[in-house]
Amino acid sequence: MKINLKVNGILEEVEIEASTVLLDVLRDKLHLTGAKEGCREGECGACTVLIDGQPVDSCLYSAAAAANTEIETVEGISANGLSAIQKAMVEEGGIQCGFCTPGIVMTLTALLRQNADPTPKDVAAALNGNICRCTGYSRIVSATLKAAKNAMAQKAGDAHA
Amino acid sequence: MPEVIGRSVPRADGPGKVTGQTLYTADIEHKGMLHAAILRSPTPAGKIVRLNADKARQMPGVKAIVTAADAPDVRAGWALFDTPMFARDEVLFEGEPIAAVAATTLAQSRAAVAAIELEIQEIPPVGDIDMALAEGARLIHPKLAQYGSVPGIVFNREGNVACKYAHEEPGVDDAFARADRIIEDTYDFGRQYQGYLEPKGTVVQYRDGRYTVQSGHQYVFNLRDRLAQFLQIKPSDVRVQGMAIGGGFGGKLDFGPEPYAAVLAKATGKPVKLIFSREEDLIAATVREGARVRIRSALDKDGNIIGREFFTDHDNGAYSGELILMAGLALMFCRGVYRTGPIRTQFRLIYTNTSPTGAYRGVSGVPMISAIECHMDHIARELGVDPRAYRLAHTLNNNEKLPNGQMLHDAAILREAYAEIEKIAPWEEMKRTKKPLEGVAIGSTVWLTNPLPASATVKLNEDGSAHVLSGTCDIGTGAMAQGVVGIVAETLGLDPANVHIVQPDTDVAAYDGGSQGSRTTRAVGRAAEHAAMDVRQKILDAAAPLMQTEAARLTLSGGKIHDIEDPGKAIGLTDILMMGAFASGPIVGTGKHAEQPIPFDPGCAVGLAFPTLPTPTYHVHMAKVAVCPMTGNVEVKRYIVAQEVGKALNPQGISGQIQGGVAQGIGYALHEGLRVRDGRYMERSLEAYRLPLAVDIPEVEAIILEHPADEGPFGAKGTAEPPIVLAPAVIHNAIYDAIGVPLNSIPLTPERILEALERRKSA
Repeated sequence: MKINLKVNGILEEVEIEASTVLLDVLRDKLHLTGAKEGCREGECGACTVLIDGQPVDSCLYSAAAAANTEIETVEGISANGLSAIQKAMVEEGGIQCGFCTPGIVMTLTALLRQNADPTPKDVAAALNGNICRCTGYSRIVSATLKAAKNAMAQKAGDAHA
Repeated sequence: MPEVIGRSVPRADGPGKVTGQTLYTADIEHKGMLHAAILRSPTPAGKIVRLNADKARQMPGVKAIVTAADAPDVRAGWALFDTPMFARDEVLFEGEPIAAVAATTLAQSRAAVAAIELEIQEIPPVGDIDMALAEGARLIHPKLAQYGSVPGIVFNREGNVACKYAHEEPGVDDAFARADRIIEDTYDFGRQYQGYLEPKGTVVQYRDGRYTVQSGHQYVFNLRDRLAQFLQIKPSDVRVQGMAIGGGFGGKLDFGPEPYAAVLAKATGKPVKLIFSREEDLIAATVREGARVRIRSALDKDGNIIGREFFTDHDNGAYSGELILMAGLALMFCRGVYRTGPIRTQFRLIYTNTSPTGAYRGVSGVPMISAIECHMDHIARELGVDPRAYRLAHTLNNNEKLPNGQMLHDAAILREAYAEIEKIAPWEEMKRTKKPLEGVAIGSTVWLTNPLPASATVKLNEDGSAHVLSGTCDIGTGAMAQGVVGIVAETLGLDPANVHIVQPDTDVAAYDGGSQGSRTTRAVGRAAEHAAMDVRQKILDAAAPLMQTEAARLTLSGGKIHDIEDPGKAIGLTDILMMGAFASGPIVGTGKHAEQPIPFDPGCAVGLAFPTLPTPTYHVHMAKVAVCPMTGNVEVKRYIVAQEVGKALNPQGISGQIQGGVAQGIGYALHEGLRVRDGRYMERSLEAYRLPLAVDIPEVEAIILEHPADEGPFGAKGTAEPPIVLAPAVIHNAIYDAIGVPLNSIPLTPERILEALERRKSA
């Protein structure tokens, strides 16, 4: 069947089977390979994308169910250069092998939109759906806090100006 | 004055990774590319009585189905050549490849795999090392004695033992005869899955009589050589191009999907992509081996260890990989870093009808060192003395010897590490402030840096930037993206942003030992430093005539060549390249590194692949845990590491290795274990095999100790492996301290802890 998907603000028409998952559409049909397949069982979170602002495991999410939603991938949030969380992840050393990184960036993007000033516990809880085998997480948490701080300082600066 | 070395410069590949642009193996597409899948044995042991792919071949999209009949009838291996590509007449483990399919889509190849007719006459599996060692046990490899092996290394093999090594110092029996007391322990260690986020995968093409293999791989030259063995061709007829690698931790050092994709690529004439599913990756992964360590110490009346027996048995699985090279570790680690008196030691690597095991960060040393450290706490408890004070009283000093006769010139660094931890977490205070069911522990060890040789080429570009070519990838540690970038930038006076790492390629780079054993920063870094020094001299030689002076008067910094005696006089690097290169030729430098042999007692190490402990580093870890009596869960409340690194080239990179390595160690200590029943894994997914989450891991407090080594770039030694090596034992001992009853196995799952708490009640 044919469906319309809105990915990173662009409407795409794709041919799918009823059982096709969103990850396969993104990677194989739209060539958006930032989302990774790590387990295809909804455990590792490397395939995380946002649907209407909420992080989901695109390896389990029905592509058909994603019609009429706003889908955001790591490519979308990178379109205008590095976002605050991406910049902080690079600076803080929140990245090692990088395979989990796009999924983690998406989860944290959603977190920071909903909670501008998270505690370390908030960040760790938000990451319950994302596994990072390399870093032991602490630099990812500190990157998130730094991104939040930078965004708040930026906002305060803008308000002052 | 160093401008890059010692600074936490962010990794060069960070922006690519954080935007999802970095290309991993699964992201590759080629025109006409086929998708492959493997038929694996559903049973751990049996005879193949029927294998028929006729119907499967007729299915839509299927381009080729290959079996043992389509591959050379050879056995290959890293060191002992015991492994067939496909099972031929018999299967030796659940998951052993039997056939491979290439089709237009992955769904088609999987459907064809399901349609292949396979009948196996099952045989009761030799499911564990006890069954394999039992008298009259069925032989898993009846032709073991006839297998080939790499020259120069001796494998004592017999029955179901792939490799046995034993050594005895004089006086062991006498020590036990006159002992005041004897303390004995047996420790059981489970299998640990590397759990890298990127399942193994490859894309192989066959053109012009050669194979081109694209894989995220730790050791491209080893993969090239294994493919050449399996395919019975020259190594130079295989080109391995390393892709960005989504983690490895030792699990991507040997072959994975590559031989199967290669046979299919030749059979179809098309590029073939083969990516393992997660379950397939887990079942076929060469995980950390299960092991049993028996350790027995003779003590005199003052509590000195006057003799020891150390017997370590490791589960090889059905075929051999790297572990067969690790026998020497038993000799190196049987004493720990403590004085013991004479030792009788034995290492055995035992075949079972289970998935083959292999290297995982801290290869084979983790169970050995864990056993030593757990046993030390047991001894201290039996003697009624403080485990930290007991360790310190018996810790080696400078210029004491390991059992192989190798002198540890700088073992006193261990005392410095204890002292540094004491400053931020005083031991007596840690003990005094414990609540009920909380425990603390401290432990120490020495670890090595892998000594395989390295090469590097530094190419200066016409815009003044540089490319570094080597045979090693950045596995994620930052050893290339931070370490080698920093070394070359520093040596050439370049901005690190202008130093670029090229992915490894066996057609392009000279031989290199790969990203393993903490060697990359030290060995590839040293080779890159030499290559950069070569480039530097060539730049100065080219600049001298342009500046109408001698090269000896010139220096390089900030992308410019300066006259030392006339500081105002300088020309830019790009000027040299524009003008000078026409006269001097393009500027390229090469470098290499080989470790110098370490003196040892050759009598005790005949035939060992690694008879010595190259580039020793020193480590002390401390942990505080809390045990929940209701659930058996353990919370790690505090974890402190004091680690000696030679020279910290990039402190951020090193603290990242410490945090990440300890996290894997905590996972192994508490819940990561592949249980084997009747030869099969019980955990078969990431849901069942639980990897640590962010909520499980505390922020590790890392103390970095610097003692620059004479060899090694800017004094660096290996850093990435050791953080995992002590963590399991230190967590185990902290739990032992919390609940006061012996545990003697890893992982200490909630079930095991609840069982121990029951024992405590009834005691």
